[in-house]
Amino acid sequence: MKNDLITLDNVSRFYGEVLGVNRVTLSLPPGITSLVGPNGAGKTTLMNLMAGLIRPTRGRIRVLGLSPTQSHKLFGLVGYATQFDSFPKGLSGFQFIYSFLRLFGYSNSECKRLANQVIEQVGLSDAAGRKVAGYSKGMRQRIRLAQALAHDPRVLILDEPLNGLDPLVRSETINLFRRYATEGRHVLVSSHVLHEVDMISDQVVLMSGGYVVAEGQIQGVRSEIQERPVKILIHCKQPSMLASKAFEQDYIVEAQLLTEGSGVLIKTRDADRFYRLLNHLALNGIDIEGVTPADDNVNSVYDYLIGDEEKVSP
Amino acid sequence: MMKLWYKQIVSVVRLEMKKTFFSKRGLWVYLLAFAPVVLYMVHSVYAIRERQHLAQLATEHPISQAAFNDIKTGLSRDQVVEKLGEPYWQRTRYQHIGNEKERSFVFYKYTDGKNDVNYHFEDDKLTWINRRDPDTFPQSQLIFATSFQFYFLRLAIFFGCVGIFVNLFRGEMLDKSLHFYMLTPMRREVLLAGKYFAGLLATAVIFTSSTALQWWAMLWQFERGVIVDFLAGPGWTQFGAYLSVTALACVGYGSIFLAVGLLFRNPIIPTAVVLLWESANPFLPPLLKKTSMIYYLQSLCPVTAPPDKNMPPLINLLISPTEPATTLTAVTCIVLLTLLVLVLASRLARKLEINYSTD
Repeated sequence: MKNDLITLDNVSRFYGEVLGVNRVTLSLPPGITSLVGPNGAGKTTLMNLMAGLIRPTRGRIRVLGLSPTQSHKLFGLVGYATQFDSFPKGLSGFQFIYSFLRLFGYSNSECKRLANQVIEQVGLSDAAGRKVAGYSKGMRQRIRLAQALAHDPRVLILDEPLNGLDPLVRSETINLFRRYATEGRHVLVSSHVLHEVDMISDQVVLMSGGYVVAEGQIQGVRSEIQERPVKILIHCKQPSMLASKAFEQDYIVEAQLLTEGSGVLIKTRDADRFYRLLNHLALNGIDIEGVTPADDNVNSVYDYLIGDEEKVSP
Repeated sequence: MMKLWYKQIVSVVRLEMKKTFFSKRGLWVYLLAFAPVVLYMVHSVYAIRERQHLAQLATEHPISQAAFNDIKTGLSRDQVVEKLGEPYWQRTRYQHIGNEKERSFVFYKYTDGKNDVNYHFEDDKLTWINRRDPDTFPQSQLIFATSFQFYFLRLAIFFGCVGIFVNLFRGEMLDKSLHFYMLTPMRREVLLAGKYFAGLLATAVIFTSSTALQWWAMLWQFERGVIVDFLAGPGWTQFGAYLSVTALACVGYGSIFLAVGLLFRNPIIPTAVVLLWESANPFLPPLLKKTSMIYYLQSLCPVTAPPDKNMPPLINLLISPTEPATTLTAVTCIVLLTLLVLVLASRLARKLEINYSTD
């Protein structure tokens, strides 16, 4: 087994009679992975299982080859920013990170250096001396992120890490995730904000009611949903001609002219053949300005797979 | 590895110290611990002032010992006043009983400078003489032993340990802050040890300070010479023994309530069960006695507390007398019992899940 994977093998977790997650089998490579699903989908349960805060009722989990029950080994490699909004009482932001690092066995000077470094990284240097209890929601979110990053882990597990952050910090945080991912680390992020997930993820895990309904790269997941026609938006100078040519093909389900006359929305059962047709039309004089897949995003995929009954935030 | 564990334990102790020593939730522990100190101090201040007052009265109105010895029941009030002079304090009361004529009850107080002598007259005849001795040293020692064994060990330290040790895990689960430790590469056993030492340090400091202050407050009323003589004799040994018993009580009860905090969501029922077991100790058969902490702690106390004179004879019959354990046996058993409980607690800690929503 490769040791750079996070693997879950038929993992289930029940809280008494209540289902947390059921029969989850995943193999997550390094990069940014988003766990997507509405509240109660099982995202936090899955993260807690990977971090060993709870144990699976059934199944087996390995994080870089380690069992989460070996917390003394695991947390040398894993940083987890939980959603729990409680901190040890009476500590300032700096003391919080410093005390946390002391528990790793670092020396006093090393703890101070790492704490200052990570606090600067999350943009909290000015507030480091203030009590965490007095922090705003966004600052608490950032200090939790700092806690997860402080010991430079290979796996970052972040539960709704972008909640409550202002746009500037949000963008800096996303860049931070990208940097970690390009260094070959795991960044596992849960979110119910789909456009965010689209922006940052290398792969997604879609969850609903404790089950994994789809996983992989978002385009790959979309292409596997055969029963739903693919929507493609084409901006061109001659939309009516393009629509009529398209309608001659049997794999085209619908061609809809955009109201402003700048293009056409095509629904097709075979995207590959349509793209070939598009190339042919372009060579034969239709001036195509842009082609955009209109529904290979998480929102559409989620909508197709789970439907409106558990709609997440767009 | 040991060095890492040591560092982690020290870090946990540092973090926990603030919570155990300065939490508002734990103020009542200080009240439990230091209430007897206040009582001993008030008593000592009162005893010293009383003694000074009696000495001053005796200087102003000296009465010979022979004159006191001359007073016998049956004498009239005038005869008593003739021999001793006017009392320094008196009170008169009149009472009707049925159709009988009114009767008078008069109380006189005299002093020889050290003791109070009370005379009780009924219808002008002396019917009762009471000589109230001042607090003597042996008396105070017995009072200290009784209060230490029946209040301090069984209630103050017991509930103090409940308050501090139960909260080490359970309190953090309620505050939803226990995950702070669980996200570090620290063995659960090491976390448990760190928390136990933090609780032990807090309770040992609070309660041994209280024991030392109680001891000092108890001695305070006596003259310097009496204290020096006592300390030159068994004094320091007794003092050391009381401090050690206090610390051992924290060691033993601490481990039990740490485990209770891990095992039970609501610690009230298990605490009540342990309290009942410890309180029922005098009535238990000898073999079962040896399974309670209080048996070993009492065995280590330097002065045996006198039995309760007001105990009904029937209950007295139920008490099963048992020889106290030797010092070595008592200390060994407390330490072994503590280790056993801590080993069990560490097994629980290993399986502990952070699942705040269900707590």
